[in-house]
Amino acid sequence: MTGWLLARGASETAPPATNPFHADASVVPVGRSLFNQHCSHCHAPNAINPDPSRDLRRLKLRYRENMAHVFYETVTEGRPTKGMVPWKGVLSEDAIWKIFTFLESVQREP
Amino acid sequence: MRRPGFVVAFAVLTGMLCTDTALAQSTTGWPVYGGDSGNTRYGKLDQITTKNVQRLKVAWVLQLGTLEAQESTPLVIGDTLYVTSSSGPKHVFAVEAKTGTVRWRYSPEIPADVQQTTCCGLDNRGVAYAKGKIFVTRLDGYLVALDARTGKELWKSQVVDYTQGAAITSPPTAVKNLVVTGFAGGEYGVRGYISAFDQDTGKEVWRLYTVPATGEPGSETWKGDSWKFGGGAAWYVGSYDPQLNLLYYGTSNPAPWAAVVRGPDSSAYGDFTNLFTASTLAIDPDSGKIVWHYQSTPYDAWDYDGVNELVLADVVVGGQTTPVLFKADRNGFFYVLNRKTGKLISAEPYVFVNWATGVDKASGRPIEIPEKRPRLDTWARDICPNLFGGKNWEPMAYSPQTRLVYIPTFNLCMDLAGRTAEYKRGMFYLGSEWDLAKVGPGGHMSEAIAWDPIKNVKVWGNKEELPFMGGMLPTAGGLVFHGNIQGWFKALDASTGKLLWQFNTGSGISAGPVTYELDGKQYVAVVSGRLVTPPSFLGHIGEKIFASSPPGGALFVFELPAP
Ligand code: HEC
Repeated sequence: MTGWLLARGASETAPPATNPFHADASVVPVGRSLFNQHCSHCHAPNAINPDPSRDLRRLKLRYRENMAHVFYETVTEGRPTKGMVPWKGVLSEDAIWKIFTFLESVQREP
Repeated sequence: MRRPGFVVAFAVLTGMLCTDTALAQSTTGWPVYGGDSGNTRYGKLDQITTKNVQRLKVAWVLQLGTLEAQESTPLVIGDTLYVTSSSGPKHVFAVEAKTGTVRWRYSPEIPADVQQTTCCGLDNRGVAYAKGKIFVTRLDGYLVALDARTGKELWKSQVVDYTQGAAITSPPTAVKNLVVTGFAGGEYGVRGYISAFDQDTGKEVWRLYTVPATGEPGSETWKGDSWKFGGGAAWYVGSYDPQLNLLYYGTSNPAPWAAVVRGPDSSAYGDFTNLFTASTLAIDPDSGKIVWHYQSTPYDAWDYDGVNELVLADVVVGGQTTPVLFKADRNGFFYVLNRKTGKLISAEPYVFVNWATGVDKASGRPIEIPEKRPRLDTWARDICPNLFGGKNWEPMAYSPQTRLVYIPTFNLCMDLAGRTAEYKRGMFYLGSEWDLAKVGPGGHMSEAIAWDPIKNVKVWGNKEELPFMGGMLPTAGGLVFHGNIQGWFKALDASTGKLLWQFNTGSGISAGPVTYELDGKQYVAVVSGRLVTPPSFLGHIGEKIFASSPPGGALFVFELPAP
């Protein structure tokens, strides 16, 4: 595991996060709606954000196989000094992974 | 020049407001955000005209040192120009107005986590001036007084705790011995207030809540205890009429956007109007009490903030010179009110409006089309205008010379649905799902319009491809200056809208330009630096905006070179 993950607060010892809804297309619309309610005012409706630092269609390009892990750590803990709010205690695990399932469906291919 | 029946009210009023300072009295500077305390933004200088504007050249440039949205209107007091950068502000500069040479810089440390608690970008729209002091408002909820000569901090007072989701983005209003400010936070469920501070000591003198508590007048317009997180934030600038001694502010949307929390889920909302949100307030600055109010969007469900600036003018209505205020509301209607009484004179659509068929003259309420009101888990589709409004903060202006109001308008529509919302401190409190990226009729996304506020007709309009075009500056030289999001700064013929000159500043312009005279020479100044956050709400349209110009941050000052 590399420096950027540590720098972003992911712990090396935590088990890698996995998406319980992986590849379940039926979850995508629910995840999209949750995303549009909770995340879109910073990350843009349907994740179409022109600002690269907030464009969540680039997660796979950026983090490859660590994408789920970075996503989960960032969403639960936030990056408060960078403007990303922590969602632990606000959204359920279930809702967070549904959002992830939607985001997986809009990733740009490397 | 005085046209029959029209009084150039605020050339006179500005002088009266600033009787204690010869500097601010000058008609050659730019002493306050809106040019005068009535926010007319009319430039009284006429050296630069329709005949010679083609020769306009850059005199100097000041780099502002930040790349977030630049929304500042510079002030010019005597021979000094004061301008702020975005991000806090990160910097307040005092520079020689002739050369741009920096005299002092104030660079406060702003906590990094303000990003979370500002809805729409790390912007700052400029400072206020009175009696040798510069008043700065900050994203971390502080109001600061600086010595205008040295930049030394004289006092610092907390207006609001930003961590609840509040921020101050607009300059305060200097009124008599007071400096008055509201704050932003309608998206975070703040309970809005406007507060006044003593200019000399920084002590809070009064505080006016824009949302009444249980038992107070107006509290019956709220369901249950929804008022506690009811919004009504006065986040934009105030206006002041020294003759009537009335201070005017607009208030934001109620919170959350999902109206069902605050009343019935229907257009038949009865008394659940949610006072005093989405309203214009006339305030007695001595007591901090509301003298009259006019609610433009009762029981708002569209994020139609009522904050847009109140432009004060004296015009002939029914044969009588009448003190009025103009407001191009977010909700798409252009309001003319008697500013002494609050009585509605007219309210007509100045952009394409399809959520209401008009405004009922007796009640003052919009006549809603029920399908266009979003309800809980029910989409309302293709609502025009969208939540940026027919106009947003980008300032309009009134020219007593042409008797027209120049408005930077939007032409966008939206889909909106209510969702269940739960208040959590410091988090967005919307209860809403939306798609704002719907282009209005005609395919253009904004338009500079010249509006006759008495006949309620558009005299001319220049369509712009992309939204977020810049504020307006009409001048006595028969010109109107404004920028656009691609970075072009333009001069138009004020009576026809014909493009006479343009200059590429390299980054989008949304702020309003100013003009001033120094040693017999007229200058025009505007801040350039493209918006970052609001375009991001627009998906693929946002991508076009990002592609149209890079972010930036610079003040450009123009002059006519010696022939
Ligand atoms: C208040 C604004 C805001 C909200 C609301 C918000 N975010 Fe963020 N988010 C940000 C910012 C700003 C960043 C970039 C931080 C940085 O520069 O490191 C970010 C970064 C992220 C990242 C990491 C991106 C990367 O490439 O490293 C993820 C994942 C993320 N957000 C997911 C979400 C999800 C899911 C939601 C909704 C549940 C959400 N965010 C809501 C502002 C926000």
